[in-house]
Amino acid sequence: MPERNDELILDRLIHEPSRLAILTVLSSVIDADFVFLQRTTGLTKGNLSSHLTKLEDAGLVEIVKRFVRRKPNTNVALTALGKKRIAHHWVQLERLKSFSEAPGQK
Amino acid sequence: MGPATPTWVFLGAALVLAAACLPISHYYNENYGRVTLSTRQQMRVAVVAVIGAPVFFGASLLARSRADWSLDLPVNPTAALFALLMLAAVAVSVGLRAHHVIIWGAVLVAGLLPVWDGADPSNIGLVLAGVAIVATGILDHRLLVRTFGSAKGLDLENSNAGA
Repeated sequence: MPERNDELILDRLIHEPSRLAILTVLSSVIDADFVFLQRTTGLTKGNLSSHLTKLEDAGLVEIVKRFVRRKPNTNVALTALGKKRIAHHWVQLERLKSFSEAPGQK
Repeated sequence: MGPATPTWVFLGAALVLAAACLPISHYYNENYGRVTLSTRQQMRVAVVAVIGAPVFFGASLLARSRADWSLDLPVNPTAALFALLMLAAVAVSVGLRAHHVIIWGAVLVAGLLPVWDGADPSNIGLVLAGVAIVATGILDHRLLVRTFGSAKGLDLENSNAGA
């Protein structure tokens, strides 16, 4: 049985495709509102809302509800922990990719 | 005659443009969302604006000047410089797409063709640039809609209240 390599284990909270998309979008900007995230991820309102709640509970994003031109606006930004975790996740994915491409691994 | 002489025509056009930008900006904010660019992206845009505008106006004035050392070629430096500036600005800020290269490349080539004999062609150069900006804007919008869907394609009711 092959040995378990903890370095290659992915963070399940982040690796879920929708949450990975949300965090990746947020990692490329300072902050974005709910509509922008809906547009860029293609998620429904309910799905996006649910994923954002999970990410907020985990301390990865900060959600600020505010009013812009008298309309409610939900603004989302990565926390310091969120920035660290998504960056680490992409490094893990790169490692996993290079591991699968390494000679003698097939 | 300089670009958009008399001056009040230029200032008036700039004011109309600024006024038109507000509802356009509001439309995109409401339908495609608000985002604050990363510091790096903001720096790129600022560098293009800070360096590009003086370079355009300076070089354009220099090339049109009647001094002995100025260009004595029947080209349209206003159109050519504006096209170069736009190509650089788009490349640095959001990345060039095929339609940017085609439209601004065409304006650049048109500006450099030795057919601009006679009166100062600066105003025609600005009109060419204006038409190119409108065409680029329409194609940019179409690209946005193709990528993120139409403005009515998203259930925006109470979207901002999500999460």
